[in-house]
Amino acid sequence: MARIDIDHVVKHYVDDRIVQTNTGRPALDDVSLQVADGETISIVGSSGCGKSTLLKVVAGIEDPDQGRVRYDGVDVTGVRPQERGVGMVFQDYALYPSMKGKGNLAYYFDVHDSSKEEAEQRVRETAERMGVGFDLLLGQVPTTLSGGEQQRVAIARCIVRDPPLFLMDEPICNLDAKLREQTRVEIRKLLRKFKITTLYVTHDQQEAIFMGDRIVVMRDGRIEQVGTFDDLYYTPASRFVATFIGSPPISVLPAAVTDGRLQLAGASWDLPSPVRAAVPDGPVDLAIRPEGWRLDEADGLAVSVRHIERLPTERAAFAYGTVAGRNVTVILPVDHPERDQLTATPDLDRAYFFEPDGERPLHTPGVLELF
Amino acid sequence: MTTEAIAEPRYSSETAIKVRGVQKRFGDKHAVEDVSFDIADGELLVLVGPSGCGKTTTLRMLAGLEPVSDGQIQFGDRVVNEIRPRDRRIAMVFQDYAIFPHLTVFENIAYGLRSRREARKVVKDKVTEAAQTFRIDHLLTRKPRQLSGGERQRVALSRAMVRDAALYLYDEPLSNLDAQLRHQAREDILTLHKNKHRPTVYVTHDQSEAMALGDRIAVMADGRIQQIGTGSDLYERPVSEFVAFFIGTPSINLFDMEIQADGDGAVMVGSGLRLRVHPSMTAAARAHVGQRVRMGVRPEDLHVPRMAPFEVTEENTLHGIVTLIEPTASGCTVYLSTAEGQDFVATFTVRLPNSYLDQEIPLGIDLSKVHLFDADTGASLLKGDIDAVSR
Repeated sequence: MARIDIDHVVKHYVDDRIVQTNTGRPALDDVSLQVADGETISIVGSSGCGKSTLLKVVAGIEDPDQGRVRYDGVDVTGVRPQERGVGMVFQDYALYPSMKGKGNLAYYFDVHDSSKEEAEQRVRETAERMGVGFDLLLGQVPTTLSGGEQQRVAIARCIVRDPPLFLMDEPICNLDAKLREQTRVEIRKLLRKFKITTLYVTHDQQEAIFMGDRIVVMRDGRIEQVGTFDDLYYTPASRFVATFIGSPPISVLPAAVTDGRLQLAGASWDLPSPVRAAVPDGPVDLAIRPEGWRLDEADGLAVSVRHIERLPTERAAFAYGTVAGRNVTVILPVDHPERDQLTATPDLDRAYFFEPDGERPLHTPGVLELF
Repeated sequence: MTTEAIAEPRYSSETAIKVRGVQKRFGDKHAVEDVSFDIADGELLVLVGPSGCGKTTTLRMLAGLEPVSDGQIQFGDRVVNEIRPRDRRIAMVFQDYAIFPHLTVFENIAYGLRSRREARKVVKDKVTEAAQTFRIDHLLTRKPRQLSGGERQRVALSRAMVRDAALYLYDEPLSNLDAQLRHQAREDILTLHKNKHRPTVYVTHDQSEAMALGDRIAVMADGRIQQIGTGSDLYERPVSEFVAFFIGTPSINLFDMEIQADGDGAVMVGSGLRLRVHPSMTAAARAHVGQRVRMGVRPEDLHVPRMAPFEVTEENTLHGIVTLIEPTASGCTVYLSTAEGQDFVATFTVRLPNSYLDQEIPLGIDLSKVHLFDADTGASLLKGDIDAVSR
């Protein structure tokens, strides 16, 4: 178990033409991050954002061009990965196919000249701590295990070594949706139980939210924001984070403020005073989440609806429509009748305001008071 | 590239697609056992199920890429079992997009039209229109490797758009896309579907995708269709424990119980619980007195007592220790464990503070919404109601 400090890390891939030509930027561009002992941090971003490179630098598989990596204050930059004792779990389980689950767990002790008794004992202890039914997996070779079971063995193989740090890169993205849902719960519970400091890389925002005590959003080799789900959702640091977190995504509409009133597509509303203080007169981009609309009020906007997606499993429907030529998404009750038109008013207490075509937020709503 | 013009067969389109008793064996292994369904003109049917359930094999038999071992596939009133894939008039969109890397976007979209020797002007107009619909008209001269995943997929959709096919098939087309692109991609698929208004089969392992897209959804497992119906049919009236568990996320909670008579009513006892059977289910429950059942409770039917839309008493309360709290935009998902060590999940429309972690909390079960399944067969004991409602 360890605290991790990533300090101004820069990493170029000289040979990677794609990274060079597309962005002209390094794969990691001055990345700093502190991870507390026992904390799980999710790292999320689109492909090519640098999230896997960051993991490799922390593991020692890649050396940074600049910057340092420290485990518990000890500089490990340049230390070989096998000497760092890090546990790694990837999407292709990488179990030894010829060995049963138990052999996979004990292998580390075999190659490190530990006594048979010690290996036996560590494997037994780990199996007990892994929970109900795990001992059954120990007697089987990987090919007879399901994807989720293989991933449990892979995790146990790391835990048995008592690593200071766990690094996981898309460990469940090969599983089908239902199995993914079950496995991520299991991994999260194990991480809570063992309190191992963990970096968890995924491209899936829902998985990132679920796995992480905090979430790092990356973009083009930089950290865009670090925070809890509430931080990212209600106080995004940029337009990018606002549009990246939330599903269906937030809708952005160009609007204008005149004398403290918001003007949009021929309608206008008074801005609430906290918003008025932050948003000057002039053009502004208004961003509204699907749940940030009120329906059927007299001062609403006409939304022309392209289609309504009904999700009985979520007890909700989403109307995908257009206002003033821009796409908007509005949440509806699941049994809302089919309509070509909706009347929707942006709830300005739950709205986000950005400088026009800029990244900087002028005002974000913050976490709503529920009670 | 073939230059042979392909004759496009015409099918009478009374009932668009009929699948009757179709089977597929690989050696002695049954990949698909006795599958039957109809697809109406303009209907989008989703085949959903876990890996290995037979959904993709079924799709490939519809396409003609796999011969059927038994049974019949009809397009209109014509049996197509013996018709080659290229002659069936189908359009397919694959997970890996299946576009030609050496052709430009324009040539990829135009490929089918050109092989049927459409006039140059017709090809150009159709390709341009499709490319505009899917916002790739500025990329027509590019090669696929210069495109993002989302753009490649729109090439595949454009190629399907210019086709006049009798059946449109999608094989997990969204699995390679990032979450933020999926909503747009779903909408693009529906745009294509509405434009063509032809029978469509869509294969996925993701039940939420099935819910979002399907007019009807067929849940498959072990080579068979377990249930076919609308999203709300499957969610509210599952015929079996499997369907109840597969549809909905987080999954339905299942508890081992035994039914006992209690005066005129019935109670369920087990898993450390003693719960009164709701009046609407008493008759069904009393037919199984003394038997073991599995009680299914959806995560949203567990309520914080103070906020429950019904009276919470000893006879509808479940206690659990909070093991995880997942924040969601609409509230939170709470993972709990009973004193007996059984895990279960509840979803709330409010936020549960982290201070409740490792604490025991009581939750009211909305017993009017529970499901009862035969402990041995998994069949729903409330099936009488289901047949009445969904037929």
